[in-house]
Amino acid sequence: MFLALKEIKHAKFRYALITVMIMMISYLVFILMGMMLGLANENKAAINSWGTSTVFLNKNANGNLSASMLTKDQLPSRLNKHEALVGQVPVVVTRVGSQHKLKENAQVIGLDRQQFIAKEKIALTAGHQAKETHQVVVDEGLRAKGYRLGDRIRLNSSEQKYQIVGFTKDAKLNVAPVIYTTLTSWQQLKGVNNRVVASGVVTDRTEPASRFDQLSRYTAATFIQKLPGYTAQNNTFTFMIAFLMVISLVIIAVFLYILTMQKMNNYAVLRAQGIPAKHLVGATLAQAVILMLAGVIGGIIFTWITQLVLPTTVPILMNWPIIAGISLVLIILGMLGALLPVRMILKIDPVKALNN
Amino acid sequence: MTAIKLTNIDKYFGTGLSRVEVLTNVSFTADLGELSLILGPSGSGKSTLLTIMGGLQTPDQGEVLIDQQNLTKLSPKQRDQLRLNKIGFVLQSYNLLPYLNVRDQFKLVDRVKGKGNLPQAELDHLLTELGIDRLLNQYPGELSGGQNQRVAIARALYTDPQIILADEPTAALDSNRVKVVGQLLKQMAQDHHKAVIVVTHDLRLREFADHTYQLMDGHLTREA
Repeated sequence: MFLALKEIKHAKFRYALITVMIMMISYLVFILMGMMLGLANENKAAINSWGTSTVFLNKNANGNLSASMLTKDQLPSRLNKHEALVGQVPVVVTRVGSQHKLKENAQVIGLDRQQFIAKEKIALTAGHQAKETHQVVVDEGLRAKGYRLGDRIRLNSSEQKYQIVGFTKDAKLNVAPVIYTTLTSWQQLKGVNNRVVASGVVTDRTEPASRFDQLSRYTAATFIQKLPGYTAQNNTFTFMIAFLMVISLVIIAVFLYILTMQKMNNYAVLRAQGIPAKHLVGATLAQAVILMLAGVIGGIIFTWITQLVLPTTVPILMNWPIIAGISLVLIILGMLGALLPVRMILKIDPVKALNN
Repeated sequence: MTAIKLTNIDKYFGTGLSRVEVLTNVSFTADLGELSLILGPSGSGKSTLLTIMGGLQTPDQGEVLIDQQNLTKLSPKQRDQLRLNKIGFVLQSYNLLPYLNVRDQFKLVDRVKGKGNLPQAELDHLLTELGIDRLLNQYPGELSGGQNQRVAIARALYTDPQIILADEPTAALDSNRVKVVGQLLKQMAQDHHKAVIVVTHDLRLREFADHTYQLMDGHLTREA
């Protein structure tokens, strides 16, 4: 540590440049991770907020809620209190009377107000729960886009007007804000007759009390994986992050290799004087840890500042335990990168130093 | 008192037709308090002899005794330890780390060796004696060649070794500086009671030596 710190202190500018490079890489990794989690969350926040454990869909729907339609004869006559019908349809929202003709893509979720999701799982941040047929509770995301309590909205090209009476958070599905309404309104928007009662059944139990023999059963995790684009999007981010980590490993290895190359004669002389190789190896590893730690901490600070200044429309979610885990991986990768120069140090021939 | 004894040392490099005999039947003894000068042209085997004395290489035949220990029988780790405790090196390139100031050059030795180094009072005296006591906060890059060489000598003495091995310590110095370094080496041997062995092709150091040897084509002979 003594040698590592002294050298860093002496060559501040050189080490500052390396630290900045590591900081930028870790910053990029953290921001990408935040965006991956943010987008993932906007895909599934509503499903998670319902405490979903199992989902039942039409057998031909291939796990896609919006493609699924359930008829009365596919369902038991009465659902358990832990089971709820859910109808989904994508819509375009237009604010009535707005001069700016605000239009937003959204997901309408039709619920039965007597079932557990509507009764227990819609946590309001403002306003009240819907009491009338054409009252809706909407995601906070719409408030950020200028919608207010009492605003009247149209969904798709329907002439029917709905009034926003409440805002709720974590109500996002397929990266769109959710509008909670009744199953009847959902039927109208979906353009189906009364025989079609919902898109699916959601339960917060692993083993539901009712039997849904005619439906396909999905765990919450499988259902989320089957959300359109969800897996492809996550895989893309995961590969980007993995490549960045490999790049950071190569960069730290190359930097430490070059720095060690420049010090080989000094190290050889120290070895000739009897300084054990473990001290020099220790100095190199300590340098790798110090550089990675400084870079990663800098990256975390920049990430934190970034998420404070980013507009709420940018889907970014900072999961600090995951960031701590990634930081640890980056530091370990830095130490792995240091193994190359360590090997050089272990192979130093002090005789060559004397001959030079 | 004998500090180091080499007996019938042979060293060769390569095998078969490409085999080169570097040292042949070399025997050598250095006593504490004396400066031994080994003179020889480039390629005569001077540096090889020095590295064998310092335990950096092992001879193909013969033995090297330091403090009753045969270096050829020691493990690399034990030889490291022996070098750290019993041998000080002074090299042409001053062997100072560029990113440590003069004070830290000694601190590094403290950290590695722990104990057995000169007490602070003796180090202060040594630094004053060498005229480098005011340079403690300077880095090697800020010092002249002569100052660097004196710091290197002080560091070699700091571990209180019984043997000082100097490899071409005056190669880059002018005549005045050669005289200063020669006197310093002599002083290290006599005042600090060390066995100082200098390998060089610089004949100007001859006047400071207690014993002078000639190394030619791998054969070592003592001058009368």
